[in-house]
Amino acid sequence: MTEPRRRRIAFAVLAAALPLCLCLGAAAGSVALPPLSVLSSLAARLGLPDFSPLSEAGHAILWTVRLPRVLLAALVGGGLAVVGAALQSVFRNPMADSGLLGVGSGAAFGAVLAVKLGWGQTFLALPIAAFAGAMAAVLAVYLLAHAAGRPSLHGLLLTGLAVAALAGAGTSVLLVATEEFRVRTVLFWLAGGLDGRSWTHLQLGGGLILAGAALLLALARPLDVLSLGTDEAAALGLPVHLTRLTLLAVSSLVAGAATSVAGSVPFVGLVAPHALRPLVGPLARHLLPAAFLAGAVLVVLADIAARTLSAQMDLPLGALTAFVGAPYFLVALRTSEGRS
Amino acid sequence: MKTMLEARDAVVRRGPREVLHGVSLALRQGEAVALVGPNAAGKSTLVRTLAGLLSPERGQVLLEGRAVRAWDRDARARTVALVTPDEDAPPALTVEDRVALGRYPHRGPFRSLTHEDRQAIESALAVTGIEGLARRALETLSAGERQLAALARGLAQQPRVLLLDEPGAHLDVGHQLGLFRVLDQARAGGVAVLAVVHDLQRAAAWAGRMVLLHEGRVTAEGPPGAVLTSPEAARAFRVSVRAHVLPGAAHPLYSFEEP
Repeated sequence: MTEPRRRRIAFAVLAAALPLCLCLGAAAGSVALPPLSVLSSLAARLGLPDFSPLSEAGHAILWTVRLPRVLLAALVGGGLAVVGAALQSVFRNPMADSGLLGVGSGAAFGAVLAVKLGWGQTFLALPIAAFAGAMAAVLAVYLLAHAAGRPSLHGLLLTGLAVAALAGAGTSVLLVATEEFRVRTVLFWLAGGLDGRSWTHLQLGGGLILAGAALLLALARPLDVLSLGTDEAAALGLPVHLTRLTLLAVSSLVAGAATSVAGSVPFVGLVAPHALRPLVGPLARHLLPAAFLAGAVLVVLADIAARTLSAQMDLPLGALTAFVGAPYFLVALRTSEGRS
Repeated sequence: MKTMLEARDAVVRRGPREVLHGVSLALRQGEAVALVGPNAAGKSTLVRTLAGLLSPERGQVLLEGRAVRAWDRDARARTVALVTPDEDAPPALTVEDRVALGRYPHRGPFRSLTHEDRQAIESALAVTGIEGLARRALETLSAGERQLAALARGLAQQPRVLLLDEPGAHLDVGHQLGLFRVLDQARAGGVAVLAVVHDLQRAAAWAGRMVLLHEGRVTAEGPPGAVLTSPEAARAFRVSVRAHVLPGAAHPLYSFEEP
């Protein structure tokens, strides 16, 4: 099959799967809503006839609980996947994701600190602290890496690892020093999840994710030029350092926003671009939107599983994406090793 | 002929090490220059400096009479193309997409491909003889074919100066001859071509002028035959060089022996 044809099919499948999964995600849960009535309620909001009305309770569940949650799941997944794809081009390494910039560990440190200080139950305190932690970690990576002039990609990567390790150590120390009842709050956050997320979370986090993802997509061609390597990119007239910094900054914002509203959601940034690259090709203008759609589908599905697999409790979302992502990765690795 | 690119007493440092200790070199329109020298002479550094990627600490590099680093980046990249042997392009990228990225200095981040862009891409693929590979991913090609794709990217820039670092390194003799024929076509079209060439025989057969770089200095310069048989070449490569003129051959053959 030719590449353009493969690409068209992949986009068609993803574009059909996402609304389907969103609808499924809005319907599924401890109180199951009929999918048709979900559609009907959405239609009614758009001024169309409400052909299969929900009960009053069902209506409340859909509009205050399910919709913000499922939309946030899509944006978190899409955002993390787009950032993964972008960073893999920037670092020219298929294993790169936002963890390399210290985003995840910085966010965790911020969240644990907020809980330690007793703000765990304050509305939005956790996401805001997590976002601040993520940005502080990224800034630390940037400043430390630039302490001795413009860093190489390698220098940036190692600095990111060091900062992440430091933040991780800080998190452990804080956790040990935190009262047990508070530790539980932060454990739920660390394990990743979208339980109880509201329209406010969606407005704050989702807006940032969408804007950042759009910006990354706008920078698709510079990203492709950058993926050719530093010398070639510079010889093609690209301001390499500035472009790289812009891409890293936008990626950090998106990943920081996603992580602060959903906690740790691992592997999406690795798996989605990795799975889509053979189908749509490595050019950013194809890979970025495809990875966004795939990441969105993946996290919406993982969130459905998190809500429905156990009747007693929500399973941690981060564990579910890892349960899917890690085996996929091992199989993909086995296949590519076998080929080469 | 007009001087396109010129280094004047360029001193270039990479990290703590001074690699070029005052190099002067001029490249004129429609000229083919072979840059030769032993390993670690500073050839790649010189080529990157000429391309405007490295700043000389002292001295100047002038492109059409103006400091190359003072040029607008896109305008510079429309004028000078650099083709290096580094294979950093994403392995899944197709040849066509790789060559199309050569249009970046013409298109910028947002403009879509015009008729002129497409023509430049098609012509670059055709001249290098890799039209048949256009839809193939780079990872499915041989090292030599990837080098031709890199050259095609440089040609798609439609530059007036073409700088090449080891363009023939991975090519078999047939492909090498093809490659230098492509460079000759570009030169005949008025492009100033400077190539780092390790194969001295090939360099002498192709170039109109040869520049010998040794330990960061130009130690000999002139017609290839004169440079290769000079005592400076013998010193730089630590060999003795003899030219053999064969009846009927277009170029003398050179033999190299340890002294």
